[in-house]
Amino acid sequence: MENIKQKNEAHKNKVAKRNITILITCLILLILSFVISMNTGYTKLSPNDTLKTLFGGGSHKEKLILFKFRLPRIVVSILVGIGLSLSGCIIQGISRNPLADPGLLGINAGAGLMVILYVMFFGAKSFLSVFTLPFLALIGAGITAILIYILSYKKGEGVAPLRLILTGIAIQAGISALTTLLVIKLDDTQFDFVANWQAGSIWASNWNFVMTLLPWILILVPYIMMKSRVLDILNLGDELAYSLGTEVERERQLLLGAAVALAASSVSVSGSIGFVGLIAPHLARRLVGPKHRILLPTCALIGAVLVSISDTIAKIIVQPLEIPTGIVVAIVGAPYFLYLLSRNTQ
Amino acid sequence: MNSINTENLSIAYEEKLIVKGLDMCIPKGKITTIIGPNGCGKSTLLKAVGRILKPKDGIVYLNGEDIHNLTTKEIAQKMAILPQSPQAPSGLTVGELVAYGRFPHQKGFGKLKEEDKEIIQWALEVTKILEFETTIVDNLSGGQRQRVWIAMALAQGTDLILLDEPTTYLDLSYQLEVLELLYNLNKKQNKTIVMVLHDLNLASRFADHMVAIRCGEIISHGDPEKVMTPEILKEVFNIDAHIVRDPRKGCLTCISYDLIKNKNNMCAKICGGMNI
Repeated sequence: MENIKQKNEAHKNKVAKRNITILITCLILLILSFVISMNTGYTKLSPNDTLKTLFGGGSHKEKLILFKFRLPRIVVSILVGIGLSLSGCIIQGISRNPLADPGLLGINAGAGLMVILYVMFFGAKSFLSVFTLPFLALIGAGITAILIYILSYKKGEGVAPLRLILTGIAIQAGISALTTLLVIKLDDTQFDFVANWQAGSIWASNWNFVMTLLPWILILVPYIMMKSRVLDILNLGDELAYSLGTEVERERQLLLGAAVALAASSVSVSGSIGFVGLIAPHLARRLVGPKHRILLPTCALIGAVLVSISDTIAKIIVQPLEIPTGIVVAIVGAPYFLYLLSRNTQ
Repeated sequence: MNSINTENLSIAYEEKLIVKGLDMCIPKGKITTIIGPNGCGKSTLLKAVGRILKPKDGIVYLNGEDIHNLTTKEIAQKMAILPQSPQAPSGLTVGELVAYGRFPHQKGFGKLKEEDKEIIQWALEVTKILEFETTIVDNLSGGQRQRVWIAMALAQGTDLILLDEPTTYLDLSYQLEVLELLYNLNKKQNKTIVMVLHDLNLASRFADHMVAIRCGEIISHGDPEKVMTPEILKEVFNIDAHIVRDPRKGCLTCISYDLIKNKNNMCAKICGGMNI
């Protein structure tokens, strides 16, 4: 008996140590991708110059490039990675469906439709767009999510996860059809703008966008961390969650709200980068298991690494042009994801 | 003294009435088994008692208190419910799953206290799964997994445990293993156990108190000697049962039965044969 206990304790310590190692590795990867991203771009800056400029030195030009263009863009990509991956993690946890992602709540579709409507009425070059677009995308995403929630609500039963997903798919299909219809009517510049947005380019790279996104992350991330045990329990299914004393419907509303807000605010500055919300939680779950206390931070770090590395690749791969980050995320992520799935089915 | 009383309890899915004006009592410190045909409202009744379902009418009393005056958390400290074939998130270890049973007693970030750890340890030992503490739940056999769920319910530290068909999909020996575990918990820890069972003979063998339900109504309740009779089984299941006394265990056992022909299945008519 004592023997078994000791063995179990030793095993638990080993797992705890391994989890911390994984977290630290992710953190180091994030710092690395941050440094690399600072050094890459249209104008070459040596690591030395970059460091000098970061700590107050450097020429005016170097300062301009780093602080005005590169730094905000890196920060935005990290924040977007955190927001989308956590949102996906929550939605997968609540729906107990590993294929769920923020896109299923109509966030991308709703935001996209709003962007198109805006471009149709005000044109792609409107000077207001830099500020109004994220805001409108947020509203579009929010309205769609609320609509899906209301439609999948059934009196006496609340919102069953499966019904939520099915309703989400239906609404998304409807909005996509409407979007396609509208896209046909756009002129060339408008079309380019919308296509770029939909492919997920982190075009919003100045400090204002950091400031629109940062408050959401700062408020919602600690809130979700606080709810990590509730997420664990909801993961057992409704009946057991009730049995263990969770107010299932209310907790689900709160967490879904948080997931929508995170994804919508991210999508509003980054365009639709859907894949992160699907793949980051998967990777994290594989690395550290399904307990949210360790899963959430791992997932957030993986999301941040994924988006920031993809954004760096997007900047350098076809210089001097840039390809949208969302596409790079998919190109980098999809093969790895398939590899993981094939390993899983042994 | 009763653990649970229901008073005029009616439960409906949308407009369909499943349970009608049910008055039932669950005696404290006893094992109660609920029997009845498919779709008769057994699981529905269990869910309403556990406040997972909101009844259309009537009241459920838990230790004399109306459960709708209690918070979900307060109920969870008094009563544990295991649904039929629950699913563990993949990748979770046995120890982690059993620790979830402490959820209703935890606050804030939920660091496990010494007291929590002790009760988890005890639950693992009494269900004989201590050696699997660090094993992933998916890798266990059906019987072991069912013991893990029971350990989680035990970690919840409640006097009352409700189980919906805890022996489904289990082999004969595993069925007995699970039921004997529950029997011992009742005898040694004085836990009140309520379970829905499909197997009539096991239901009769392990019960102190039996409740036979058909079409959402109680046909008979009391000790197995009163409920395990050909007359009642005929009314509940529409079968012609041959009941004898088990030569080894001394309990009433149905050794053979036939369908009663030329009689419409009343339940199918009334309930619409809905599978619940």
